[in-house]
Amino acid sequence: MFLTQTDLQDTIFLVFSVTALASALFIVNSKNVFYAAVSLAFLGLSIAVLIADLNPAAYSLYSVFHIILYVGATVVFLSVSLVMFRGLEVREIRTPWAPVISLLAAVAFFSVLVLSTSSIAISAPPSPDLQTLGERMISQYWFPAIVLIVGLLTTMIEAIALARRD
Amino acid sequence: MTQVPFTSEIALVVATMLVAVGVYGLMNSKNVIRVLLSSEIILNASILLVFAVSSLAGRSYTPLIFSVFAIGMALTEVVVAFASIILYYRQRGTLEVD
Repeated sequence: MFLTQTDLQDTIFLVFSVTALASALFIVNSKNVFYAAVSLAFLGLSIAVLIADLNPAAYSLYSVFHIILYVGATVVFLSVSLVMFRGLEVREIRTPWAPVISLLAAVAFFSVLVLSTSSIAISAPPSPDLQTLGERMISQYWFPAIVLIVGLLTTMIEAIALARRD
Repeated sequence: MTQVPFTSEIALVVATMLVAVGVYGLMNSKNVIRVLLSSEIILNASILLVFAVSSLAGRSYTPLIFSVFAIGMALTEVVVAFASIILYYRQRGTLEVD
């Protein structure tokens, strides 16, 4: 009669899976790329909810990060920047073999997934501790962190250069 | 044997379908912005996949750190791609690629 927490979690997961797929299909079929970019925000939000719903205790931290950085920065940057262009209408081309190739890619991808995950010993992930996360980031992943910081710095310079008039 | 969680199973299927949609979008468009958006769909699918597999394997720190770097680099990639698109648009006056 009453929904258990797991049932609720599964229902939310199914609803947002459908939202994610619908947003993705809208992106590839929309005739106006501005609306497609807005739809990417819905895709990002759905993915954030799906990730949090996989294991709320372990992954909600990343989910918030995904909403702030991906939806809040990347997609908004993309949508706002599109205003600079005239003629955002997409000329439709229909490649006859595109559905076949994408189906083949999906089958190959899923086969690799099934093969690689079949040998995994299933266990629940522990809740991450922010202090341990920070310590790991600094001790084990310091080089990627520096690369990321330099990348973001160049992005900022590039954004300033883009905003300048000729 | 421990049962595979329903959400992880569905996440693997959703990630696969998103990859298929992204590949379809990449092949079916000549508009550079739509090509960029299609690659973003594949990026989202891959991040969902990282967490789905990690939830099966019982990892919590590795996917977090990996995805934080991936999203940061995705932000950089979008801005660099956009700068290239603007240059292309200024030179050609169109967003269509040959």
